[in-house]
Formats: sequence, C-alpha cells, structure tokens
Amino acid sequence: MSEKVRVKDIGREDLPMLSEVRPEELIPLPPPYDKLEDLPGFKQVSDEKKERVVCNLDGVIAAAMPHPESPEEEQKYVEMFVEGLKKLLSKENNWTFLQPLTLSLEYCIGCQTCADACHVFEATGGKEIYRPTYRSEVWRRLVNKYVKPGGKLLAPLKGADIDLNWTTITRLYELTYRCNLCRRCAQVCPVGVDNGLIAHELRKLFSQELGWAPTELHEKGTVLQLDVGSSTGMNSVVVKDNIEFIDEDITDETGIETVTPFDKEDADVLLIHNAGEMLAWPENPGAFAIILNAAGIDWTLSSEEVGYDGVNYGLFYDDVQLARVAVKHSQTAQKLNAKRIVMGECGHQHKALVTIADRVLVGDLAVRRESFLPLLEEIVFSGKIEFDPSKNDFPVTLHDPCNIVRNLGIVEPQRRILRYLCPQFREMTPHGVDNYCCGGGSGFAIMSGNNYEDWRNNVSGRVKFKQIIQAFQDQPGPEVKKYLCAPCSNCKGTIRDMLKYYGALERSGITYGGLVELIVNAMVDVKEPFIKWEMY
Amino acid sequence: MSVSTLILLSYLLLAIFAFFFVLKSVKMARMPVHLRWELSPVPHEKGKGHYGGSYLETAEWWTKPREKDHVAEGLYMFKEILFLKALFEHKRSLWWFSFPFHFGMYLLIGAAALLALGGIGTVTGFVTPDLWLLSRGLPLLAGAGYALGILGAVGLFFTRLLEKGMANSTTNATYFNVLLLGTLFGTGLWAVFSVPDFTGQVLGFVGALFTADLSIQLAGILKAHFLLSFIFLAYLPFTQMMHFVAKYFTYHEVRWDDNPLEPGGKMEKELIELLGQSPTWSGPHVRADGKKTWVDIATDTGKQEAEK
Repeated sequence: MSEKVRVKDIGREDLPMLSEVRPEELIPLPPPYDKLEDLPGFKQVSDEKKERVVCNLDGVIAAAMPHPESPEEEQKYVEMFVEGLKKLLSKENNWTFLQPLTLSLEYCIGCQTCADACHVFEATGGKEIYRPTYRSEVWRRLVNKYVKPGGKLLAPLKGADIDLNWTTITRLYELTYRCNLCRRCAQVCPVGVDNGLIAHELRKLFSQELGWAPTELHEKGTVLQLDVGSSTGMNSVVVKDNIEFIDEDITDETGIETVTPFDKEDADVLLIHNAGEMLAWPENPGAFAIILNAAGIDWTLSSEEVGYDGVNYGLFYDDVQLARVAVKHSQTAQKLNAKRIVMGECGHQHKALVTIADRVLVGDLAVRRESFLPLLEEIVFSGKIEFDPSKNDFPVTLHDPCNIVRNLGIVEPQRRILRYLCPQFREMTPHGVDNYCCGGGSGFAIMSGNNYEDWRNNVSGRVKFKQIIQAFQDQPGPEVKKYLCAPCSNCKGTIRDMLKYYGALERSGITYGGLVELIVNAMVDVKEPFIKWEMY
Repeated sequence: MSVSTLILLSYLLLAIFAFFFVLKSVKMARMPVHLRWELSPVPHEKGKGHYGGSYLETAEWWTKPREKDHVAEGLYMFKEILFLKALFEHKRSLWWFSFPFHFGMYLLIGAAALLALGGIGTVTGFVTPDLWLLSRGLPLLAGAGYALGILGAVGLFFTRLLEKGMANSTTNATYFNVLLLGTLFGTGLWAVFSVPDFTGQVLGFVGALFTADLSIQLAGILKAHFLLSFIFLAYLPFTQMMHFVAKYFTYHEVRWDDNPLEPGGKMEKELIELLGQSPTWSGPHVRADGKKTWVDIATDTGKQEAEK
C-alpha cells in the first residue's frame, strides 16, 4: 500500500490499490456523530467481488468494470484510450469543450489553490489521489507523452514519466467518479483552470470512445430514458397514472382540489419535473400543482416520451446522450407550442437544459427555458396566494445545489422566499455560490452499488453533513424539528441517504425536503401541516 | 560574447518571441465556440455580480434588457491582475511569494517600456541619459523589480519543492522556469549595483537595437542579463508561463461567457457549422460512421438498447 502517492504511481501494476479510504483518517464530524464506533461503518469489497471486477484504486467500486479476458483485450482498450485522448483535443470530435479543455491542459501552474476548495480532498484529510490536480496531472502527462509530437522524447522534462497500461486507464476511469464536478475548485483557481471539467472530459472519453460508463448513468440512465421515456423506467401511461394518484392524495390531504393538466397546447408554462420526484417525493409535484393552480398559471405537464422527465444524465458523462435528451425536451415544448419550459426542482436539469444545451438547440429547437425559482418568487410575492409564515416557525436552512447556484447564478430568489416564509431561516457556512456540494453531484446520488454509497456518505457528503449539523448547532437536540431545504432531486436523494446513514432525524431532529413543500406548508388555505416530520 | 553577436542574437530571439507569442495567442482566441460553461460569480452581472447572481434570476429574462456592468468587470480584473486577488483570498501562503514575483515583473515591464522610450528618445535626441527619470528612475524601478522577483522566485522554488501537494504536480520544466527567472532577476540586480553607468549602458544597448549600432560598450554582466532576458522571451511562448494570456480566455470566454444564443445571430451560424461536422467517436451508442454529423447523431432517435 502506497501512502505517498506520486502521479506516475497510477500505472504501477505491483500495487493492488493506489490508496485506501480509512474511516479513522476522515475529518471529524461534530457531536453526536464524532464517535466512529457509533457510526454504521464502511463496507469493504469482498475478495470474491474483486476477482470479478476491477478494484484497484481505493478499495471502492463505482464503475464495476469486468476484468479483461485476455492481454489482447487489455491492449485494445489502451489503444482506444490513446485514440480518445486525441479525439478530446480535436475540433470535429470535441468542439463542445475544446477551448476550456485546452486552456486547462496547458496552463495549470500547480498552485494547489483548488485542493483547499475541494470537499472530497478536505473530507479525507488530504488524500493525494483525491487532490483535484492528481487526476488532471495524470491526464496532462499522458497527453504530453502519448499525444503531443516528440512527447516521449521530452517526457523527462515535462514529468511525463508515466506508463500507459490497463491499470492506468482503469484507475483513471474510477478516479473520474471521485469528483462531483461541482467546480468549486475552478471557482478559486487564479488562472481559471477547471479540474472539474477535466474529470468530465475524461468521463466523456471513456464513454464516447471506449463505451465505458456506470450502469446507473448509461444503461439505466440515458439509454432507458431515450428508449422508454424516463430513467425511472416509467412510460407515459405510468406517469399519467402516478400523477393522477398524487393529485388524489394531495386533494385528500389538503382539501384543495388538485388537478395536474397534461398535454395542454399553447400553455404559458411547460413544467418538466425530474420524474424521480413522482416516485420518491410525490408531495413535490403535488405542491407544484397546488401553487401553480392557486396562482392561476397557465401550465401543463407533457406525457411525451422523455418530455415528462427532466433528467439528463448525459450532462455527467457523454455529450452525445446529453444532446439527444435535450433535443427531445425541446421537441416536446415545440409539439405543445408551449411558451416556455420551466425546470422543476432538479439542479442538473437546470444546467443541462438552461445553459449547456443553449448552444445545441439552434434554429427551431431554441425554445425559451428557465428555472422554477424566479417563477416561484413572482408567485409568492404577487399577492395571489395568502401565506401565514408562522406555520413555518421552525429552524430551516438551505442547501444550494451547485448546478443552480454556482453554475447558473440563481442565488437570491429562493432566499427571498425563505426569508419571507420561514421566520427561523438561517444560512449554512459557506453558502450561495461558495456552497459545498451535497456529495451526490454528477450522478453520485444515483450510484450506490458495491460500497459506493458508503463512500458517498462518508467522503463526498461529509463536509455537507458537517455543514448541516453546524447550521442547527443552536438547537442540536432531536426535540426541535428542523428542516433542510434542498431544492434539487439529486441533492435530496443524497441528503436522504446521508441523514438516514447517520440517523440524523432521530439524533438531531433533521428532515429535508424541497422549497415548494415549505411554500405550501405556509399557505393559509392549506389547513393541515403539509410537511410531515418523518424521513421520506 | 561581442556586442554585435549579442545584437544579432537579440533580433533572432525577439523575432522568435514575437512570432510564437502571436501565434499561440491567436490560436487560443480562434478556438471554436464551446458549450456554455459559465461559473458564478460573473462580475458583469449588473447589481448581482457581487453575490454571484445572474440574469437567470429574472422570470422570463429574455423579455428584459440585459445590462452589463463593465466597470465592475474591469475592477475585478484590475484587482486580479495587479494584486492576484484570487490567490490572496484562497491561498495566502503562496501569495506572499507569488505577489512579489508577479509585481516585480510588472515593475520590470514598466522599466522595459521606459527603457524603450528612453532608447528611442536618446537615439532621436529628444532626451539625454541624465534625465532624472532615466538616470535615477530606471535603476530604481528595475532594481525594485529584480529584488521583488528574486524574493518571489526563491520563495516559489522552495514552496514547490517542500509543499507536498505542489511537489507532486511540479514538473522539472516548472522548476527550470522558476530558476531561469530567478537567474534573470539575479543578473539584473547585480548589474544595477555593479555597473556604474547602468542607465547609459542599457540605453545605449536599446538604442543600438534600433540603429544596429555595433560599436557600443556593454558590461559583461549586462551582456549576460540581456542575453538571458531574450532567451527567456523566446522560450516563453512554449511554456505554461503563457498563462497570463490564457487567463484572459479562461475568464472572459469561459467563466464569464454567459451570452445566451440569439436566434439568427453570428454565434448561431458558427454553431450550425460546428454541428455539421462529423465526429468519429467509437462508442457503440454514438453510432458515428464518419459521415453522420453532430445533428444526425443528436437527432438519432433509434432505440439504444438494440445497439448494445
């Protein structure tokens, strides 16, 4: 086991693991979560499993790559990897990110400002392989040695003393799934280098050239969504049925007749939820329906395949899949002649469709798109709905989804709503565009095979969990019920798992939910509390 | 080395610098438009930049006029370029060396500009070397620049060597670059203190570069310093030290590029052209055949499961 890991060690075949995560080395959590023996522990990958799939990075498995059947197969993938490196730097194959990627390739000065900003690096007390530049430097040296003219000759000067083999590429593949792509590192880089982008581009290389991507993102993600209509597996009939059930439940619960319109033509708003909400948090689409109906918004959902699920996991690993899903979303709006698409409470959906796809959806596909947050702010302050903020008189804090806040700059609308409707609203430290990722960003929220969920709960989500506990440190006990507002599906999924893992509802009285639930909870017309103090 | 050889070498090295500096800069500027990848805070967002907000906070933003605060953006850049604000805020330990290193260079750029103007002035007879700004100002400015540069170079060299994280990502080329600059600053400072007629000699040399006068006198240390300076300039475009140019693009064309697509606009035309290219990715789900364009591939709605 090597603890002093050098960049070139990534290719060392004599090391069974490059490094290892040890719970006792992680940064301490605040009480009552500070005793290792009281926590659920960290599952180890069995030897039997290691015989079946590659586990050579840190004892954690995200991608579950089967071992190659022959040395020839290994060599084939290594050669494809080199081809992929070249394609990443070519205009016809990667115009989509060529400029930012090239700038990040050539001009990192290695100052390590990024490392201090990275929650994964911080959580592990500074584990070398999780340093944002570690992955980037491996890639940089591989490009310098295997792609640039005279690379092998200049290798000693440029530090390109790195071997390219099966071990290198499989470790690098796994390592691309140890970064949440939250871009907090890029935000602080004095030069503007983006290590998050580099991880993203490497994921693309593996997917678009070698056909490697985690099952949850590809087969059960974009492929399922494009084939069936949703990454949840729901087709349009099931979606309509589910929404009908949700409407009935919400009507019974609130006493407000709730009907969700479907496939209404010429509507002002085509609302696209993350379809996962309909299954995991049905109160969320229900709350949207109550608010939009009460405000008299001319809105609709779509039952068109893909058009009812705002998820776009292509954002995390594959430009081609990203574009295909985005095109489907746009075509859905065109078909209904909707004036605008409004994103539901889903951060990556925001980034994928509002900004990233902005330069894919050209010509007729350029449908207007925006976040739900400004619309909600308009509604809340319009006077169309009567609120009683005292109904929300419990401690509330806000998690800032990276894709909505740091990446899109939507910071204040949600805060203005919370400051108005939640008398005990308090910020986390830091917050806004300086926030920390929940730990589930870039697909981690839905990846849970092997011991990956333990890694997420212990490592990538650790700093966020610490922040949550500290935000409520004035009333730490479970007797005071507290609400963590996380207006993003993937963040909610991560936070749900994290709060369950640590027993935070029982030990600290913390539950979580979206923003619309708080808004409905404060509505005068809603007689019974909408928020249930339970772990959803 | 004779002065004539030095002057000829200087022309060659300056020509290499100018050619490759422009080439590299143009290459950065001419990269194709990319997908939006902005990152808050974007300082030109009027009234919002200070907390990281953007125009996307406004409902139906496309119906409202976009207002950009160019003063705020300029102020941000001014603080970043002159004082290395990001490093000061996020990596103070390095800033103590990086700031003098860079500020020293800014002073030397100022000294070089003064030198060039003074050189032209003396050649054309508009000024004489005993002008205070030249006789006293030039050695002061250059001396301060060299001293700060040395402090920075020494500090950066040892920080890179001793700080675990930095050592791992610092290549031999980077150590060489810091040493090269440190030596350049060192020879400069030595010349300031050891050459009695510092101003006269350097002005004479710069004048000679303009007039190709090979008869001038130059102290050995100044010959070494000028040679090293021009070698550095010729080498600069091939190194990561071009980050000062790259930074313009990483900030203005990546982080702060939040321009929405305007239907029928110039960017849309460029995008349509880019989307017409044929990628060759080999992943089975991409279904690229070298002929299908990005548009064909993105609108390919064939069932994906069948392709596996």
